[in-house]
Amino acid sequence: MKPQTKLRLRKTLAHACLISIVVVVLVPFVMVAVASLRKGEFPPSVLWLSPDQLSLEHWKFVLGIPYRELVNAATGETRVIQASPSPVLWLWNSVLVSGCSSLGIILLSGTAAYAFARMRFRFRASLLRTLLILQMFPAVLSLVAYYVILDYIGQHFHFIGLNTIPGLIAIYLAGISVNIWMIKGYFETIPASMEESARIDGASQFQTFVRILLPISAPIFAVVFVLSFIYTMSEYPVASVVLQTTDTWTLAVGANSFLYEQQKLWGRFAALAVLGGLPITVVFLLCQRFVASGISSGAVKE
Amino acid sequence: MDGYRSRRCRVAGTPGDSNTATFVDSRPALSIRHLLVALFALPALYLDFLAYESGSVWIALGLLIVIGLGIYVYLSDRVEAYRYLFPGLFGFGLFIIFPLVYTVFVSVTRYSSSHLLPYERALSLLEQETFPSGEVSYNYKLFRQDSGSFVLFLEDDKDSSHRFVSEPLDLKPGKESNLSEPPAKLSRLNADTMPPGKALEFAQVVREKLYIPLRGRQFILPDGAVVGAEGLQKCGSRQRLWQMNADGSLTNLRDGSKVRPNFKQGYFVNDKGDQVGVGFQSFSGLENYTQILTDSRIQGPFLRIFIWTVVFSALSVFGGLCIGMFLSVLLEWKDLRFRKVYRTLLILPYAVPSLLSILIFKGLFSQDFGAVNEFLRALHLFTPDWETNPWGARAMILLVNLWLGYPYMMLVCTGMLQSVPSTIYEASALDGSNPVKDFFHLTLPLVFPPLIPILVASFAFNFNNFTLVYLLTGGGPRMIGGGIAGETDLLVTYTFNLAFRDSGTNYGLASAIATLLFCIVGTLAWINLRLSARTIKI
Repeated sequence: MKPQTKLRLRKTLAHACLISIVVVVLVPFVMVAVASLRKGEFPPSVLWLSPDQLSLEHWKFVLGIPYRELVNAATGETRVIQASPSPVLWLWNSVLVSGCSSLGIILLSGTAAYAFARMRFRFRASLLRTLLILQMFPAVLSLVAYYVILDYIGQHFHFIGLNTIPGLIAIYLAGISVNIWMIKGYFETIPASMEESARIDGASQFQTFVRILLPISAPIFAVVFVLSFIYTMSEYPVASVVLQTTDTWTLAVGANSFLYEQQKLWGRFAALAVLGGLPITVVFLLCQRFVASGISSGAVKE
Repeated sequence: MDGYRSRRCRVAGTPGDSNTATFVDSRPALSIRHLLVALFALPALYLDFLAYESGSVWIALGLLIVIGLGIYVYLSDRVEAYRYLFPGLFGFGLFIIFPLVYTVFVSVTRYSSSHLLPYERALSLLEQETFPSGEVSYNYKLFRQDSGSFVLFLEDDKDSSHRFVSEPLDLKPGKESNLSEPPAKLSRLNADTMPPGKALEFAQVVREKLYIPLRGRQFILPDGAVVGAEGLQKCGSRQRLWQMNADGSLTNLRDGSKVRPNFKQGYFVNDKGDQVGVGFQSFSGLENYTQILTDSRIQGPFLRIFIWTVVFSALSVFGGLCIGMFLSVLLEWKDLRFRKVYRTLLILPYAVPSLLSILIFKGLFSQDFGAVNEFLRALHLFTPDWETNPWGARAMILLVNLWLGYPYMMLVCTGMLQSVPSTIYEASALDGSNPVKDFFHLTLPLVFPPLIPILVASFAFNFNNFTLVYLLTGGGPRMIGGGIAGETDLLVTYTFNLAFRDSGTNYGLASAIATLLFCIVGTLAWINLRLSARTIKI
């Protein structure tokens, strides 16, 4: 075989491989989008619809718009259906929870990472290791304790107790140690000389941190924000125990509630999944370069 | 520029040394810092006072120590680094360390659905138990208030001048009332006045099932006598059943028998050794742990689940690495077109919230109308029972986890490959090598060692991959003869089910398994730190 035909063969093979994997990746998403537009409650299973199967009922339900549903085909009897509370509220709750906790995580782990990266103090190394090892205790197994803590706090302050969004955010804020490692790793790649010269010019330690180090480190904060945002957005077990009434639910709890054992409301689930999943996915893909560099610099997936 | 910087650096010495101390000394006595500390500390101290007032002495003490530490850290110049650490460590302590300690504590106690209450609460339940003394009997009527609550009206059936009315009650139709609720107070009512609200007929009380919540309630007369419902139509005076003795035992006033708390068993026992009343939480030592190792009902499922957890994590990591590495190598091929498009599309499973993807796959793998089986059927291939067959369910979980997990490995491997200098391939190209040989002989030996910590971390992550298994199969199908255990359960979902599934709430046992789990994963994390210590310096 000539080297050129060999190369062309290899390229074709590579494309075939990549395309088949891309198909496996894309098909589920296309099916969900289609299922959200399909009349009736069918699990995602088809890639196209005939016009008579098309219906916007699931989207109307998820967006909280009232619509008429045929109850009895013989008499033509209909009833008005409107979701209460509207599932859009769950999306809003999720964005609120994820946004606040990701911001808080950046704040807490950023300051802590600064101390670990730039200062020398007692217990520094052992504290770093302890943080990472203790974080390995899965949150699911702490649920009984979370329940006890939030119940106690809630007896004094209702706004941060059980079944409240601030209560859930408070729990998520504790997941900082992996992020501390990540940000610390980034800080250490930045030479300290600039901060040192600022110190000589009379800046305090805090000023050098805020004015000099923070602006240069924006990319790593973007990575931490996006990763914690996605993680908290998908977090199910803690949210399902802390949030008990439908008006406080997050997207994760709400989406799973459509799929209970006796009746699986696939259409509604699909519409909610597209509505909630699309914006996050787009944001992630936009920050892809940052995230990829953050991950490959030794980060750990949560 | 660099030279300039480093020269200044040498003059300055290390940051945080005596140079800063001179700045500190020149500060005014009362700075903004003091005000800020006061701004946080004073409300915190007030909260602490409230906690102390409400009777939680230990919590108040703990909070006081934390506040004291906080004030010290932010006012003293000797521990400057901790100013940056304090908020994070506080949250970490409250929501990571406390739950951990609490779990270890629960693991050495008997704490389950049959031992739910603390000893004091179980005791107060017994204290509230009464029996009809038959002294006085009352006719009762319920009055519905505008607010939806009820008022109970009592009239002595022999002496109609004895009339009483209760404070408003919250009665839920058809629902048993909470036995531990304190008795409602009754106050005397004059002969000619009637209670507020609308009187309910007897038939109405029965129809709305209001007698059910009324049944367990107790009422206390102004003179301290206790009254409770007797049958449907009457209330009668009641007497406390148990008399407390100085030695901690209780005497039954009806039949004179004695019970005493047995702290080893976790309930009250009478002279014959039988259980009386509800059980309470009690210290059980290592009983939960020995149960895992010796009780055949728990040991069998535990071992099987443990093995499956290890196999699942290992296969997930290995499979994800293979696919991820393969794709990243392909995408590093500079002559290949559309590399950027491929990369973006291949990252998608990582970008979409995993919870949504898992639930989507639950639909795709559904046995009846699922797309996967439809597809296999169209090709006239074998259609596995993804939901009911243990092997089918395991295969499904692994497939879904590979789909979810390979993009992360791809990102990591891409990062590693880009750090490999391209010059090393030039030499081997001269020797007439091929890409496959290059990969196994040149790339892999370079890339693999720094990957090890990431693989161990990924193993630990999958070891506790709760969301995947819980949402995809819920641990099912059930293990035959395994009680609550399922064939696809991981240790973490098994523990969750032990603690929270309605049938067998057993916090003690669940906590013991959780503690073991933490030991396993903690060891993995420790090994990981040792391994990465070579490449990453702390």
